[in-house]
Amino acid sequence: MFPRVSAIIPLRLLSPFPLCPGGSEAPAAAIVRLGAPHGTVRTKNEVHRYFGTNNVICNKKDEQSAPTRDISKETETQESVKENTKKDLLGIIKGMRVELSTAKVQTTRPPNRRQLKSIEATTGRLHKVPEDAPKKRTKSLSPELVAAAAAVADVLPFDKQMTKSELLRQLQQHEEVSKAQKDGERAKISVSNIISDMKIAKSSTARVSTRPVHQIQFDEGSNDYVGQKKTNDLKKSLRKNMLKGKRLNIFDLKAVTEEAPETETAPSLWDVEFAKQLAEVNEQPLQNGFEEMIQWTKEGKLWEFPINNEADQLGFLHMAAVEFLTARKSKD
Amino acid sequence: MAAVASGRCVGVRCRLCLMLTGQWTGLCGKAPSRFYSGSATLPKIEGANVTGIEEVVIPKKKTWDKVAVLQALASTVNRDSTAAPYAFQDDPYLIPTSSVESRSFLLAKKSGANAAKFIINSYPKYFQKDTAEPHIPCLMPEYFEPQIEGISEAALKERIKLKKVRASVDMFDQLLQAGTAVSLETSNSLLDLLCYYGDQEPSADNHFHQSEKSEELEEAIEENNEKSKKAGHQFGVTWRAKNNAERIFALMLEKNSHSYCTMIRGMVKHRALVQALNLYTELLNNRLHADVYTFNALIEATALSMNEKLEDKWNKILELLKEMAAQKVKPNLQTFNTILKCLRRFYSFGRLPALQTFREMKAIGIEPSLATYHYIIQLFYQHENPSKGSSLIIYDIMNELKGKKFSPKDPDDDMFFQSAMRVCSVLRDLELAYQVHGLLNTGDNWKFIGPDHRRNFYYSKFFSLLCLMEQIDVTLKWYKDLIPSVFLPRSQTLIDLLQALDVANRLEVIPQIWKDSKEYGHSFRNALKEEILMLMARDRHPPELQVAFADCAADIRSTYESQDARQTAPDWPANPLNYIAVLFLRGGRTQEA
Repeated sequence: MFPRVSAIIPLRLLSPFPLCPGGSEAPAAAIVRLGAPHGTVRTKNEVHRYFGTNNVICNKKDEQSAPTRDISKETETQESVKENTKKDLLGIIKGMRVELSTAKVQTTRPPNRRQLKSIEATTGRLHKVPEDAPKKRTKSLSPELVAAAAAVADVLPFDKQMTKSELLRQLQQHEEVSKAQKDGERAKISVSNIISDMKIAKSSTARVSTRPVHQIQFDEGSNDYVGQKKTNDLKKSLRKNMLKGKRLNIFDLKAVTEEAPETETAPSLWDVEFAKQLAEVNEQPLQNGFEEMIQWTKEGKLWEFPINNEADQLGFLHMAAVEFLTARKSKD
Repeated sequence: MAAVASGRCVGVRCRLCLMLTGQWTGLCGKAPSRFYSGSATLPKIEGANVTGIEEVVIPKKKTWDKVAVLQALASTVNRDSTAAPYAFQDDPYLIPTSSVESRSFLLAKKSGANAAKFIINSYPKYFQKDTAEPHIPCLMPEYFEPQIEGISEAALKERIKLKKVRASVDMFDQLLQAGTAVSLETSNSLLDLLCYYGDQEPSADNHFHQSEKSEELEEAIEENNEKSKKAGHQFGVTWRAKNNAERIFALMLEKNSHSYCTMIRGMVKHRALVQALNLYTELLNNRLHADVYTFNALIEATALSMNEKLEDKWNKILELLKEMAAQKVKPNLQTFNTILKCLRRFYSFGRLPALQTFREMKAIGIEPSLATYHYIIQLFYQHENPSKGSSLIIYDIMNELKGKKFSPKDPDDDMFFQSAMRVCSVLRDLELAYQVHGLLNTGDNWKFIGPDHRRNFYYSKFFSLLCLMEQIDVTLKWYKDLIPSVFLPRSQTLIDLLQALDVANRLEVIPQIWKDSKEYGHSFRNALKEEILMLMARDRHPPELQVAFADCAADIRSTYESQDARQTAPDWPANPLNYIAVLFLRGGRTQEA
């Protein structure tokens, strides 16, 4: 049930992303849009907005890239752009609030707050780097992204420090946004899990031994979604992993498959016992009456079917011999 | 009869319909061919005469296994999901209600048969009358005492065959004192006996004890311990220095590679690792060759030795393998399985070598068995902590294994399904669990589910995963299917089921679950009862349901009361009291509240 719910959500998430490039491409997009006149940029933003509240992320990003451009380019249109961006941002914030409140999950509020802070930062102080946010954010970026941002900043013919800081900020915001979305998703999925987790915690305290299974459930009830996405991506790549790759290269196929002349030795005790152990592996209690009859037939306790009247000639003779011998003995 | 039957039979197995039709043609074919030798040629002539009709081809006479008919019939019978397993007597009193009971019932049955056999064998003279016609050898008393008296090699051989450790050692000594030389072969078999059983008598109650798997310590191989019927290895059988095995080994005039090999194997089996390795160098010094089993034992010895670093151990193992290749000894499945088993102790260091070993095995063309995959799973999923980014190798493994049927090739084959299901439950992947279950149901693979406790573990995990992840209707269907015919649930399993019901808002099934719980002996499990009560009391429900809940609550209360009567401490936990009161009120039974 829950995996299916979670399956829908990533679809909605993924759709805006093609429209707005990923974090590492943000600088490239910024470069591209640098050349475009402002008017088209603005309309594009509005168009994005009309696509629906899902594109909240993109809109926000566009708004942030707009300020970047403003920093680096004309200053006279800055004021009007700022006003527009402010208006759009407010609209976006309202939209975001509506969207997140419909989820009715508590845990999305912190990401909301985080996003609000970042938006205020960009609108409030376009030139200065906001103080509190980056302290949180600087940790979340991977070093490669930072290095990429630095490289891009070097390439751009503008104020390197400024562009670099702006780019980094955008990347971090993007990270936060995606994380917030993920958290939101995870939180949505795990609503019932939370409830059931609470029950599990109670019952596990009632019991003497806490079972590791339930502990795991409590900790990671929400990893399903993430895990599934991962597995679908990595499954294909790992499939080759197990079979292909380096081997020990000690044995040679030719040498191993050639039939060495085997000396026929009677099976030693080791072999006999090993065979007995192997037979035990497959042992299961009998499943029905026929299997019981099979067992008895194999042991010799039951006639074989179809009944063969000429059977057991040897047995008959053996019995006769035994009787003869015992009779003889008793005579002596 | 058994002897004759085995002489006649060449087992040919076919599908059901083919079997039956084939059976009839086989029968018809048999009779004419026995009595009318010429009949086989008649149809051919006919066919040749008539042009335009294709030649009649007479199928080869099929010989059927003596159990063919029965097997055909057995394959038509499917599991009845409403009944207890067949192994139990079909009496209401004798059908087990919990896994503990089921185990004890089965053991009781088996031990009864064993006790009867024991008595027959202990007092054979009372059981001589043989009315069965044809003679049934296995029901007659067996003879365990050596018949041949006197000091001779034949007597020694007999004692070895009967697995009498002490007697054969004594006989050997007597022979040597008398001056007769014992042949190499006999000496070797004496060595085998001693080495396998570690200078102990094999346990007399062979049938009674389940022989443990190889993880136990075994006593050093006393030389040629008599191959008594004791196959049960006691715990802590260690190789004592200078035991009989070593003594006789030293006394032997000529030793061939078999002697060395069996000594090494015995030493490793009984955990005299250093001596085993020393003996191996001695073997090489004498320019003898070890066989593949010896190499397997040496690999195990290297891996188990205490004081070395993991890389060193691994390098030593690689060297052993290279020597094996140099001596043109072909590795077998056990070689690779032993390596993988030992790599388990290397924890995460062992992952890469394990994969390399696996690929080597496949490259040589040795087909991995279920035990191989079990060891790999154990290695990669050792700790139940998936937050570290667990390996996804289980998916590879399941892809590899899809649709394959297995036959037992390694004594550890039956551990695979248990570990696979454990991984599924840790990873919370229901689809994978279905795959594993599908593999279990392919062909004869169900036999690899292992003994009782492993089967219970497997199904408990499977069912818990179902409760977690699957839709409630499907879960309830599985519930009806699996319980009680395949496994009997523990109270934890039922709690999982209750939570699943809660999530899916199907609380009306709870009274039914309570009834089932009573049947399975969980009436006195407080956790379960609290769970049920809490679920019932939590929300308001439509009135009919309330009545049902109130009945249920009354029932539970009565169990509390009867429990109190049994024990002296009359403590009703507070919560159930609350819940019961609330439920009664809601159900309109204010009096009882």
